[in-house]
Amino acid sequence: MGKTVVLGVIGADCHAVGNKILERAFSDAGFNVVNIGVMCSQEEFISAAIETNADAILVSSLYGHGEIDCRGLREKCDEAGLKNILLYAGGNLVVGKQEWSDVEKRFKEMGFNRVYPPGTSPEVGINDLKHDLGIED
Amino acid sequence: MELKNKKWTEEEFFKVRQEVLNHWPTGKDVDLEKAAEYLKKVPEHKSFPAKLKKAKEEGITLAQPRAGVALIEDHINLLKYLQDVGEADLLPSTIDSYTRQNRYNECEIGLEESRKAGRSMLNGFPAVNHGVEGCKRVFEAVDLPLQARHGTPDARLLSEIIHASGWTSNEGGGISYNIPYAKSVSLEKSLLDWQYCDRLVGLYEEMGISINREPFGPLTGTLVPPSISNAVAIIEGLLAAEQGVKNITLGYGQCGNLVQDVAAMKALEEQANEYFKMYGYDVYLTTVFHQWMGGFPQDEAKAFGVISWGSATAALAGATKVIVKTPHEAVGIPTKEANAQGIKATKQTLNLLRGQRLPMSKELEEEIKLIKMETKCIIDKVFEVGKGDLAQGVVKAFEMGILDIPFAPSKYNAGRILPARDNNGAVRILEFGNIPFTQEIKDFHRKQLEERAKVEKREVGFQMVVDDIYAVGKGFLVGRPNM
Ligand code: B12
Repeated sequence: MGKTVVLGVIGADCHAVGNKILERAFSDAGFNVVNIGVMCSQEEFISAAIETNADAILVSSLYGHGEIDCRGLREKCDEAGLKNILLYAGGNLVVGKQEWSDVEKRFKEMGFNRVYPPGTSPEVGINDLKHDLGIED
Repeated sequence: MELKNKKWTEEEFFKVRQEVLNHWPTGKDVDLEKAAEYLKKVPEHKSFPAKLKKAKEEGITLAQPRAGVALIEDHINLLKYLQDVGEADLLPSTIDSYTRQNRYNECEIGLEESRKAGRSMLNGFPAVNHGVEGCKRVFEAVDLPLQARHGTPDARLLSEIIHASGWTSNEGGGISYNIPYAKSVSLEKSLLDWQYCDRLVGLYEEMGISINREPFGPLTGTLVPPSISNAVAIIEGLLAAEQGVKNITLGYGQCGNLVQDVAAMKALEEQANEYFKMYGYDVYLTTVFHQWMGGFPQDEAKAFGVISWGSATAALAGATKVIVKTPHEAVGIPTKEANAQGIKATKQTLNLLRGQRLPMSKELEEEIKLIKMETKCIIDKVFEVGKGDLAQGVVKAFEMGILDIPFAPSKYNAGRILPARDNNGAVRILEFGNIPFTQEIKDFHRKQLEERAKVEKREVGFQMVVDDIYAVGKGFLVGRPNM
């Protein structure tokens, strides 16, 4: 299928376990995964996406600062010429146990196409991505 | 400065100190003399070493939560709540992730946004930004000993500030606060920076002030085999002792199988004391057991099950203290109420088991022997490749994969080791990378895993590891197929 996704954990976040599992799951599902690992700045996501001509950026944030770290990513993608690139975010995106619909709304307003609550299994993201990229199973 | 396992001279220390105190404006308020005076007046019931010693002598296990929010008033309210309603025995201040990366500018943003939003936008307490004045306010508002808990590769300024504020314990170490917490900080740097933190505590000891140091036992918290974490804990204990630290708490993160966990705690305490003695250090040693550090179940009632099991193991192992999780673990930083519930569930279990220990059995004895043998294989090799210097040995050992921590984010970690559970849930090793075990030990691990594979009618392999990572979150210890 040859679709490329950039995968990474944003900000000062060191949670590495989920990232390693997502890499494997998306690869097994046939995606070309460019895993930039933990502790990545917005710029690192963007340059990886440009370099590899990626179809989507999958952002993880586990440690709670996701809201601060993700803000402005959409605008920076636009400026960098990555117009309409798919942006997904998942993990434990905000500090504390909050009403999910509020969190989802805030991230969608930031320009994320899809936002996932804690503990979402990789398969859910894989199916959505296939759908959004028009890939048939 | 060249990295060596050798006590820093005062000259070396004070030269570096000048620079450290300039990292952020609050550094200039740290005055060693005034700090010593302040620390000398800390009453016994608010001193970490004193409270730990008392618990150890009485054979009880103390409960300590993790907790920290951005703003001082909120942080004080949180800690008082955990003390008064939660019945905590010891208090923490969990430090936020920007501070841990020395990004104090970003803490300022987080503080401002927290004020505006009316909720904490930081995942912990930014102690450096609050400075000695702010940290003292926290200390003076509570009635229990206070410890900084973080994950900071370079914690020099943080350590200066917290100790000067009466906080008598600091968690961390040059390995345990680097490899699981950072991506590209070299071990030379983090080991040197933690020698500084330890030397600071050593200096206070020389002034007659006892401060506790606690290397972070659980590392990545994810299926870390006991001998790996015990080896790191003992090494960090030895490195701290060389800098003059005299009160050390060594820790271990629950793996989940009772016999293995109790064995790991016993092996850790006995072997650490042997090493301290062998190298001529006079250390007062206590232990800490961490309730399950991996992925938690989202269901709160199920989370209490995990919390209580960890508490039971801590009691049966005779740990001096236990670090408590909360029913919100899988989702987010807990509310103060959820945090207090975790402590109360823990204390109830600890109290029910007070005085009981897991009796010695053949299985327990064998497991202790195995863990000690493995730990010795690793530590001996670290000394060997360091040509007798433990600090240099650590750097070399990580390069060579002799020390290798599963699932760690650091590029200085080989990441070749893969753990998986055996049929009883004990954590064994599937791929050893370059961990220097004897063939006999390796064969034993393999045999244990094969036994599980047979029961599950599948091959030993990576899928088992993935299943084990998810298992506790899904309500089980061992990740069986179709769980
Ligand atoms: C293990 C662990 C650690 C280990 C991490 C070791 C390492 N380097 O990887 C250690 C002990 C070092 C650690 C440290 C910290 N941790 Co931690 N940690 C956990 C824990 C217990 C499990 C995480 C894990 O590995 N899960 C297993 C993997 C497989 O699952 P996962 O990470 O959730 O990822 C999966 C899904 O979320 C999803 N997913 C993730 N991203 C995306 C993206 C997309 C697009 C999709 C589709 C899916 C998806 O797929 C992944 C694979 O299945 C969680 C709580 C929990 N979940 O039970 C806390 C947790 C994530 N940690 C937390 C915190 C705060 C920290 C610290 C800041 C310390 C602190 N203040 O308490 C530090 C981090 C410092 C830093 N700079 O980042 C908080 C975050 C709180 C919040 N968001 O409100 C949590 C939730 C615990 C809590 N309730 O307080 N932690």
